Amino acid sequence: MTHPSVDQENLPQTASLPENIIEAAITWSIRLDYNDPTPETRQSFDQWLHADPLHRLAWQRVDSLNNLRNDCRSLPSRLAFDTLQEVDSRRQSRKLSRRNAMKLLSLAGITIATGWIVREHTPWQRLLADASTVTGEQRVLHLTDGTVVVLNTDSAVSFDLTEAQRLIVLQRGEMHITTGPDSEVSARIGRKRPFRVHTPFGELQALGTRFVVRLDEQHARVSVQEGAVELHPSAGGSSAIVQAGESRRLTGSSILPAADRYFEEDGWVSGVIAGKNIRLADLVAELSRYRPGYIVCDERVADLPISGIFHVKDTDKALQFLAQTQPVSVMYRTRFWVIVGPKSLYR
Amino acid sequence: MTIPVVKLVTWQQAHDLYNNHHGWLQKWLYRRLGNTFDAADIAQDVFMRVLTRRQPSQIHEPRAYLSSIARGLVVDHWRRRELEQVWLEILAVLPEPETPAPESRLIFLETLIEIDRVLDSLKPAVRTAFLLAQIDGLTCSQIAKHLDVSVATVERYIAKALRQCYALHFEA
Repeated sequence: MTHPSVDQENLPQTASLPENIIEAAITWSIRLDYNDPTPETRQSFDQWLHADPLHRLAWQRVDSLNNLRNDCRSLPSRLAFDTLQEVDSRRQSRKLSRRNAMKLLSLAGITIATGWIVREHTPWQRLLADASTVTGEQRVLHLTDGTVVVLNTDSAVSFDLTEAQRLIVLQRGEMHITTGPDSEVSARIGRKRPFRVHTPFGELQALGTRFVVRLDEQHARVSVQEGAVELHPSAGGSSAIVQAGESRRLTGSSILPAADRYFEEDGWVSGVIAGKNIRLADLVAELSRYRPGYIVCDERVADLPISGIFHVKDTDKALQFLAQTQPVSVMYRTRFWVIVGPKSLYR
Repeated sequence: MTIPVVKLVTWQQAHDLYNNHHGWLQKWLYRRLGNTFDAADIAQDVFMRVLTRRQPSQIHEPRAYLSSIARGLVVDHWRRRELEQVWLEILAVLPEPETPAPESRLIFLETLIEIDRVLDSLKPAVRTAFLLAQIDGLTCSQIAKHLDVSVATVERYIAKALRQCYALHFEA
C-alpha cells in the first residue's frame, strides 16, 4: 500500500512527539494497513496528515514500522510463528518456575513418555537411504520382484537386489513388507532368490510372508502377519522362526519374546492405531511418533486403559478425542509440546 | 524547534573511560558469558552506547554504570541465543517444503529476533494478535474471528503492539 509521501523538510528528526499525536498516527495505521479502508477513510487521513507538520513526522515514523511487517510477511509463516510462540512459552515456564517453585513440585510426577525424541538436523540414515520418510509421512514402495514395502513415519531403508539375493536394509524407523513372487528372475535362474532384511540387531529371512519390522533403541521388533520369518541375531547364536500371529524382539545377541501389545502391530499400514485397553502412556508415545515435537503424559493418568481407533494422520484430532472421552485434559504449550494430564490439573 | 545532538562526554572523558575500565568490563562479561569473543563484542557495544548517548550526564560511578548497561546487553544476548536455539530445533523437525532456503535463513532469523524484541513485553493475547497481523498478514476483522473477540479489541491489541514498536525505535 502506498501512502502520500511525507514532506520531511524542516522536521526535527530526533524530536520526541506528544503522546496524543503518536497514538493518532497509530490509529491511522490500523485503519489503513490493518483493515480494508474506504475512500472516505483515506480522504480524512489526508486531511489529518496535512493539518500539522508533527502529524507528518509521527506518520513517517509509524509508517516505517511497516518495514518490519513487510519483512515478516516474507517469513515462512509456520516456522516464524512456532519459533516465537515456543521461545515465549519456554520463557514463561521459566518465569513460572522461579515464581512458583512449590506449585511445580506437584508437577514433578510428569515423565516424558517419548524420552524427548532427539532428531538430528538431517538424520544420517536418511542421507544414506534409498528411500525415507519424515515425521508424519508414510510411503509405499514397489520393488522389481513384486515386493511391497510400506515405510512408516520417520524411517529410512536401502535396497540391494542382485542375482544372488534380495536384501533390504532397515536403517531407521519401521516398515511393513509383503514379499513378492519374484517370478521373472526365478523363471530365469531356476530358483527363488532369498529375501533378507538387515537391521542393526540382526538379520531376518522371510519365507513368503507379510511382516512388520520396527527399530527401537535396544532391539528390532518383528511381528509376522502371514507365513514365517527366520531371525538371526547379529552376534551369532541360535536363530528362531517366528510364525504368523507371533512377535519377537531381536536384541543383537538374542531373541526374546516381545512385550504384549494392546494395539495391532500393522494397524499403521491402514493409518490407524487400533486396540483395546491400550495404556494411555503407550498410546501417547505411539501418537507422538507421528508428529514433530513431543507429547508428555502425566504419571497419574499413564495407566488409564484406552480402547478405540486413532488416526495417525490427524494426531490433534486423536488428542481432542481423548480429552472428550477420557478423564484427561490435553494442554498445548505449543504445537510442539503437548501435555496429557488429569482433568482437574490444567483448568 | 531544533534539538541539537549533544555529545555528552568529551573526548578526554571517553578516552579515560575506555582506558580505565575496558579491561575490567571485558573480564566482567567473560565471567558471565564464558566466551572471550562474545565478551569482547558486548564490551564494544557497551562503549558504543555510552559514547552515543543523547542525554548528557556526568558519570560518577563508571563501573556501576558500565555494568548496568552490560547487564541489559547480556540479557539480550541470551534471548537471542535462546531464540536461535528454538529456531534450529523447529527447523529440524519441519517437513522440507516448509523450510526456507539456507541463504535466506540468516535474514529471517534477524527479522525474528527483531520481532521477538517487540513482543517481549506484550501480553499473550496481544502477542498472538500482532503475530497474526504481521506474519500472516491478517486484517483486524480476520484476527477477531480467529481469536473470537471483537474487532475493537483486536485494534486495541495491535495499537498496543505498535506503540511498543514505536518506543523501541524512536524512544530508546
